[in-house]
Amino acid sequence: MAKKVFSVIGKRTWRKDGVAKVTGKIKFTHDISLPNMLYGRVLKSPYPHARVRSIDVSEAEKIGAICLTFKETPKVKYNERLVSVPEATYKDRTVLTDKPLYVGEPVAAVAAETEEKAQRALELIKVEYETLEPLMDPEEAMKPGKPLLHESVVVADRVVKVENNVACKLEISEGNIEKGFGEADVVVEREYKTNRRYHLQLETKTVICKPEIDGGVTVWCTTQSIHNTRILLHQIFGIPLSKINVKKAALGGSFGSSIQTNTIVPICVALALKARRPVKLVYSREEDMHDHCCYQVILRLKLGAKRNGLLTAGEMHVIVDIGGHQIQAYPLLGCMAGWWVSLYKIPNLKYKGIAVYTNKVPSCAMRGFGNPQVTWAVETLMDELAEKISMDPLEFKLKNYVGLGDIFWGQGPTVKSVITSCGVEEILRKGAEMVGWNKRGEPREKRGRVRRGIGMARGFHTSGAGGPLAGQTVDYSGATVKVNEDGTIDYLTALMDCGQGDYDTHAKIIAEELGVPLRNINVVLTDTRSTVYDVCTHASRATYVGGAAALKAAREVKGKLLEYASRVLDVNPNALKIKPDEETGQGVIYIEGVPGKSLTIGELASLARHKNWGTFAATVSLRQVKCPPHFTGYFVEVEVDTETGVVKPLRIVAGADIGTVINPGLAEGQMHGGFAMGLSMALHEDTPYNPESGDLTNKGFITDYKVPTAADMVDVEDFKVFFVDTHEPTGPFGAKGIGEGATNPVAAAVVNAIYNAIGVRFYELPITPEKIVKALREKEGK
Amino acid sequence: MGEIIEFTVNGLKRRIEVEPNELLINVIRGKLGLTGTKYGCGIGECGSCTVLIDGEPALSCLTLAIEVDGREIVTIEGIAENELNHIQEAFLDQGAVQCGFCTPGMIIMAKYLLNKKRNPTEKEIKEHIKGNLCRCTGYINIIKAIKEAAEKMQNSNVKAISKEL
Repeated sequence: MAKKVFSVIGKRTWRKDGVAKVTGKIKFTHDISLPNMLYGRVLKSPYPHARVRSIDVSEAEKIGAICLTFKETPKVKYNERLVSVPEATYKDRTVLTDKPLYVGEPVAAVAAETEEKAQRALELIKVEYETLEPLMDPEEAMKPGKPLLHESVVVADRVVKVENNVACKLEISEGNIEKGFGEADVVVEREYKTNRRYHLQLETKTVICKPEIDGGVTVWCTTQSIHNTRILLHQIFGIPLSKINVKKAALGGSFGSSIQTNTIVPICVALALKARRPVKLVYSREEDMHDHCCYQVILRLKLGAKRNGLLTAGEMHVIVDIGGHQIQAYPLLGCMAGWWVSLYKIPNLKYKGIAVYTNKVPSCAMRGFGNPQVTWAVETLMDELAEKISMDPLEFKLKNYVGLGDIFWGQGPTVKSVITSCGVEEILRKGAEMVGWNKRGEPREKRGRVRRGIGMARGFHTSGAGGPLAGQTVDYSGATVKVNEDGTIDYLTALMDCGQGDYDTHAKIIAEELGVPLRNINVVLTDTRSTVYDVCTHASRATYVGGAAALKAAREVKGKLLEYASRVLDVNPNALKIKPDEETGQGVIYIEGVPGKSLTIGELASLARHKNWGTFAATVSLRQVKCPPHFTGYFVEVEVDTETGVVKPLRIVAGADIGTVINPGLAEGQMHGGFAMGLSMALHEDTPYNPESGDLTNKGFITDYKVPTAADMVDVEDFKVFFVDTHEPTGPFGAKGIGEGATNPVAAAVVNAIYNAIGVRFYELPITPEKIVKALREKEGK
Repeated sequence: MGEIIEFTVNGLKRRIEVEPNELLINVIRGKLGLTGTKYGCGIGECGSCTVLIDGEPALSCLTLAIEVDGREIVTIEGIAENELNHIQEAFLDQGAVQCGFCTPGMIIMAKYLLNKKRNPTEKEIKEHIKGNLCRCTGYINIIKAIKEAAEKMQNSNVKAISKEL
């Protein structure tokens, strides 16, 4: 088949919001101010588990502050993440609480003329707390007789009792594991513990709410879903959806931390409704680190294989330490099972996932939604198994991977579809050659203080959360494309761009389909009023689902353009084509092989106005009935200083199958950024708790939350990214996602590289220099 | 009690009243409405609030406004003489911008470095931007962009010289 030649897809271009970003002109929610605006501050619990005995705001009110406590806010129990269907959404929180469950949980809020005055008012609020026994360890919290953090939760309007602090659980089994493990020649079982990471998205959580004269509200906030924010506010405050408008602003990173409506959004709305004035509420970095974090898991994994390299059975047991509230614990348990079974074919398997409440900051999705955790365990255990059956791990993985024609669990057990594009083998073969995989040597051959090792791990993530059946996940998107009277195009989507460049991807898809120059596409900064529903920018779905909606709308518009052009040019519409024309700066409608018979889209649109034909426009709503995996593979060379325990990356080879590459520069950037995040998952990041105070040991200061800096990265020429040539038949122009696959296998590759360098395996993240030095001393019997 | 200070911001003389405890970042973002300078941590760890004071990079979240009396400040809004400078163009060429929140601080640091040294090594680039956190890009394309900007600036100087000849 001849390769399709694209006009803009695959081309390196300046991102559409780029000039506004490099000049500092773009407006993030942080940067928006309104006339007559008050500033909000939140009073947060200093205790991990307590009951508010009394609260007195009279002194704060005396200095003119508007005060709000749990006594006045709605009592509606909600779950701030509305991506799943009601049966899979566990509601356990309210706007403000009288029973805080973590240090940092909001109990009251104030609004005043200045932020300083609001802070002074906050300090005048008197709260009497009765402290309760904090549960800081999930395995402790599950023991019978421990105090319950929640007596009950609400699921689809049913009240469900909570037992032993188990927030939810899920069990899955296929085949017969006893038989499977019986057939195995080698069985390895390990227990893994991940770190409790923090997103450290650069823009801290922020919200502005303006009460409107009709009883409605206008809201700007850090969010990955304007529509779900609107629906949640409707659920809590009972305001009709038509009177709530959530408006977009640029988003300063997110990585999953705003899939759910941020904790402070309903608080700010309640403040603004009470004050009857606009209120802006910005979380400080310390407050932000007390607001959300990544899921920390204890994961027991057992895999069995035959000497011929085929897996026979697997068992995974996961305990998730979710913190004080559930944001998406139940979907997470399903997804973690799905990530596991979609890595390798395991004929007999058993999975058990338990999510447990503890008195810690609530956890939420963080780039991969459990996938980096699962892939770390599986990809390092696969290396161990390969060694035991004396097989190259790469060959072992290629023998067992889930690929073309296999069933993929894109969003847990209820969202399954068949894989129709797969470049795994090419990623691994090419990557191995580029990195010099066969020359990496054995750990026992490595000598000296500084030792080098090469590790490899492969992974994937879903592109969207759609499937042939409805499933438990809401997943569809929408788009409006309209042709302006001069031939330029307005594009409206509710889908948020968190920075990865979704708007550019969509603009290119529309430009390609309509045959117009890319600069003629205007991506409108929309709101909930001007757009049809999009669920959320999560699950690496913006290209595959959002892009497909944009394509559908563009295709409908193209049909209308050709229909009317055919009348003007007096030919059959099927004979017409459109291409971008540099001379006119327009899309030109023409007949192939017939010169002289053509007109620009601008001419046609203008004619349509003068002849009263109407506007060429289309609004669509689209669900993808699949969510194809995008695949990645990382080969990492590291250097381990055996004296200091410091690990330094030296060389990265990163391959990806993302289908058609729409934006090469930004796609490479996803791989670079995904690597940085995975590297520090392996080596640096954690938010440990002080068992005495129940607070973070770093108190929320990023001074003690290390993420990679430029100095920690490899040199530019030592980071090689390649994309294999694949085409996803159901994707817009053959494209799939990339964002999460870009990070999922990284930690495993780094950990395998450390093993190749020093011959020691680690089962607890992060692998700090102290752990490395200690392990080496133990190994050498010192 | 406020105090009147006079200083230059992006070439414009400003005269404003500030409190003794008022931070420069709040004056820039709030009183002057120059919101390109970002708040990321408030404790000098992330570099998002970097501005130039008399040509030297400074963290505006750790600088008292009263300290800049009589001094010259450049923020991201004043970094280019014309529409875009070579650094800004290079950031766009190289895909060095994702969410864009760290971008102003990064560009300010790049400007400072390239003012000082026309052809920095990769190590020098990394040393100069290592105080500026970016959570999206993994820095690779930012480093590429600063290299490209250095090359472009050298080439444009070559052209300028040849024109004179």
